[in-house]
Amino acid sequence: MAKEPVIIEVPNRLKAKVSYGPDGVDAQRLEQAEAMISALAPEYLSWVIDDLKRLQSALDVALATAEDARPAAVRAIFEISHDMKGQGGSFNYGMITQVGALLCNFIEARASFDAQEMEVIRLHVEAMRLVIGQKMEGDGGRPGQSLLKGLQAVIAKVSR
Amino acid sequence: MGGYSLERLNVLVVDDSPHMRHLVKVLLFSFGCRTVVEAEDVPEADKLLQDFPADLIICDWNMPSEDGISFVRRLRTGEESRNPYVPVILMTGHTQKERILTARDAGVNEFLAKPISAKSLFQRIRAIIERPWAFVRAETYCGPDRRRKQVDLDHPNRRQKVPAKGTPGIRGAAVRDDHFRSASGAISASGGRS
Repeated sequence: MAKEPVIIEVPNRLKAKVSYGPDGVDAQRLEQAEAMISALAPEYLSWVIDDLKRLQSALDVALATAEDARPAAVRAIFEISHDMKGQGGSFNYGMITQVGALLCNFIEARASFDAQEMEVIRLHVEAMRLVIGQKMEGDGGRPGQSLLKGLQAVIAKVSR
Repeated sequence: MGGYSLERLNVLVVDDSPHMRHLVKVLLFSFGCRTVVEAEDVPEADKLLQDFPADLIICDWNMPSEDGISFVRRLRTGEESRNPYVPVILMTGHTQKERILTARDAGVNEFLAKPISAKSLFQRIRAIIERPWAFVRAETYCGPDRRRKQVDLDHPNRRQKVPAKGTPGIRGAAVRDDHFRSASGAISASGGRS
């Protein structure tokens, strides 16, 4: 017979070490923390330019790779764009998160990548470069939304 | 207005991205934390945990040498683990339900979807402070109790209380109703339990 699970009451060490008071984290403190992240935006732009360079290199390698060996090369594109997707929104570059999500979902849904599919990936890489080059913060406004719609239309076309 | 002061907490941040580590550290310092150490991968985190009494670990999922899920599993069940009950917040860009369930089943306390914000990170920390979970040690699982509601059930299948026998802190169980919080709100995950 399987052993009965044991439920253990663990002392709440975290609670024991925090105190509640006027100097704690309140709504105002959270706003200040958000402002500190916003202040990191210039640093983010330098990081993300490095990420874009790595992304372009990974794309170049994947394009130069024979189609049957391409999935492994495309995986490198996925890893970089996945990191970028996870960071953009924190620094008010939600467009990087959205384009990154489209690209990651596109790659994850496929086991192989022909020339047409590589063109879709290339367009996403270009879109990310445009977002950063044009400093499309937030939702990117009307140009940003048009860009997203365009990418979604391209994906829909290839996925038919 | 008041809030929790986190200045006495020892926090370990594990992420292969220096940018993410920097971001999390900035947030933790802005919350008043004073002791934040960072590791760029799991082997470094293992080494640090030999001496660092972490009260909280904030860890990435995807890392090159060993991923966050494997790290948490070892933390909870490994014979060499010095701190199996330490609360863990797992950060990831993977927000699909099956991924969240994998994280929960590995013994993660809270799941934090990227991109993170001050609010989302603090919300997870506050959840651990205010709603600590008992630990379950079972044949196939070791970690925070994945059932989240305590409800008295008058049913023969209700799990029996473990006899205390001089073991303070062991209690009976609850119903199978789980909520694993995600950044986008509560993701309900009913299903097989420990």
